[in-house]
Amino acid sequence: MKFYYSPGACSIGIHVLLEEIGKPYEAVLVNLREGAQFKPEFTSINPKSKVPTLVWDDGSVLTEYPAIAFWLAATNPNALIMPEGPEYQARALELTDYCVSTIHMQGFSRIFRPSNFAPNEADHDAVKAKGEEIFAKGLHLMDQALAGKDYLLGHYSFADSALFYISFWWNGRLKKDLPGNVAAHYARMNARPAVQRVLKAEGFA
Amino acid sequence: MKLYYSPGACSVGIHVVLEEIGKPYELALVPLKDGAQYKPDYMAINPKSKVPALQRDDGSVLTEWPVIATWLARTNPQAKLMPTDLEGEIRCLEAMDYICGTIHPQGFTRQFRAANFTPTEADQPKVIEQGKQLATKYFDVLEKGWKGDTWLLPSGYSVADAALFFVEYWATRRSGMTLPPHLDAHLKAMLARPAVQRALQQEGLPA
Repeated sequence: MKFYYSPGACSIGIHVLLEEIGKPYEAVLVNLREGAQFKPEFTSINPKSKVPTLVWDDGSVLTEYPAIAFWLAATNPNALIMPEGPEYQARALELTDYCVSTIHMQGFSRIFRPSNFAPNEADHDAVKAKGEEIFAKGLHLMDQALAGKDYLLGHYSFADSALFYISFWWNGRLKKDLPGNVAAHYARMNARPAVQRVLKAEGFA
Repeated sequence: MKLYYSPGACSVGIHVVLEEIGKPYELALVPLKDGAQYKPDYMAINPKSKVPALQRDDGSVLTEWPVIATWLARTNPQAKLMPTDLEGEIRCLEAMDYICGTIHPQGFTRQFRAANFTPTEADQPKVIEQGKQLATKYFDVLEKGWKGDTWLLPSGYSVADAALFFVEYWATRRSGMTLPPHLDAHLKAMLARPAVQRALQQEGLPA
């Protein structure tokens, strides 16, 4: 199986799941800063021009963070990252979707790529401020979801990988403070050997 | 069970799913144009200030379009709204995530709420145009990757079709866009379904 990623992109969360699972995989670098995602070599694999992307051994391609996370969890029961039963699985997907579709794509994208939102450079600070507001609100909801728990669903699950990359961006990259429960979750994640291997592999440790 | 919705919002897709299932449910109106989603009554139900939200009979609330759809499909297997094999389930989820996480917020929110993208009013037409271009590109990805017959998945009708329906409906009814052939045929097939017709009628929307 091939795993297409870019260092520090949201693919880092899927990278963590792959390390938790511990089966062999081939990590393939797609340098987003150099626009490699828009080149034919990559668009012929994933026309959405996004990482993470998984290519199975039969050549078929799986995209979308929540779908990849769910599939990895479902096919690797020994890794204990799939919550039991439709109710908890729905909750894990709900948390993952919110991290990916809202905190990342509405919040972080405004902070990191304001020109994708407002054409006029003079507006970019306002766009970034709105992104920070969306991000902070999302972290607040995650803080509430973590009340009294070590991990989002109590036990470790694939949803924690999504919150990990969100925390990594806010605290690790933007150097901003996380709310208490999220900070404790981030510390717990950073203590996991799988996370430490990924940070090293992607050049952050 | 209660569906919190706003007429013509993406919640119409979940409304279709509930009509397909055919069990009794309640509709609760959250008029987005009046900002009802930011009022304390609604934020107590869904602090994300979004529709759709589904309140189950035990009072608990489920949010996020793909999650509500997946949960409804899995807990109502007789309605056959989601493949039961893992590969099929994943493809269904992948399609819903693309539609709800990319096509909707990147393509259509740009067109319908340009002010959320740029504070400069004079730039809004550019944002709207960019939204149309992106939506066209995203539709093209679906068109070229089309593996089904009438429906999005080769396994047949599923909740992914209800997701595709709401963006197709917006594209043709609100944005004046032309759909590529598979999507155009898909929208026509959706509009012919009694469940879709009932949902549109209940929300006061033209067919």
